[in-house]
Amino acid sequence: MTARVGQKAPDFNAPAYYRGSFTNVKLSDFAGKWVLLCFYPGDFTFV
Amino acid sequence: MSAVAAQYKSLQKLGIEVISVSVDSHFVHKMWNDGELSKMVEGGVPFHMASDQAGNVGRAYGCWDETQGIEMRGRFIIDPDGVIQAMEVLTPPVGRKVAETVRQVQAFQHVRDTGGKEAMPAGWEPGKPTLKPGPDLVGNVWKVWNPSME
Repeated sequence: MTARVGQKAPDFNAPAYYRGSFTNVKLSDFAGKWVLLCFYPGDFTFV
Repeated sequence: MSAVAAQYKSLQKLGIEVISVSVDSHFVHKMWNDGELSKMVEGGVPFHMASDQAGNVGRAYGCWDETQGIEMRGRFIIDPDGVIQAMEVLTPPVGRKVAETVRQVQAFQHVRDTGGKEAMPAGWEPGKPTLKPGPDLVGNVWKVWNPSME
């Protein structure tokens, strides 16, 4: 499944760092809210 | 990502939650937040920094670059129904404009609030006129909108 506008966002469950803790983040836990999902090439890159 | 973190408050005012994703481990996320980002944004990164070491999330969103093993700079606006309303994917050397993301969220929220009865012309920002699609508007957009209003 590939992401497309107008289609359901693919769900995922991934390890995460969040406000000082290690946790997991699952997209579907945010159902009912607007979500901004941002990918980037890597930590410590310059842009 | 510090640019997004710096605008987190204005994103929160719009009721939008942020998740960032890269191939780095959550341990490295912590080091980057503590060692660098927290020096750019007071209090550090306030949202989830997800780790996608196998590229599975990036692959599902078309952001995974298998030759370099990294994610392209993808940005997705997802509505409360879990539907993607907007996407933008840049190659690594150019950064995003967070204010444009805020503008798009405001426009999509307005569309949703009006039940799709209003459409947002190019460059729309809160306070600017919207379009009311219907038979009367066909061939008459020029009467209510022109490019100088963008």
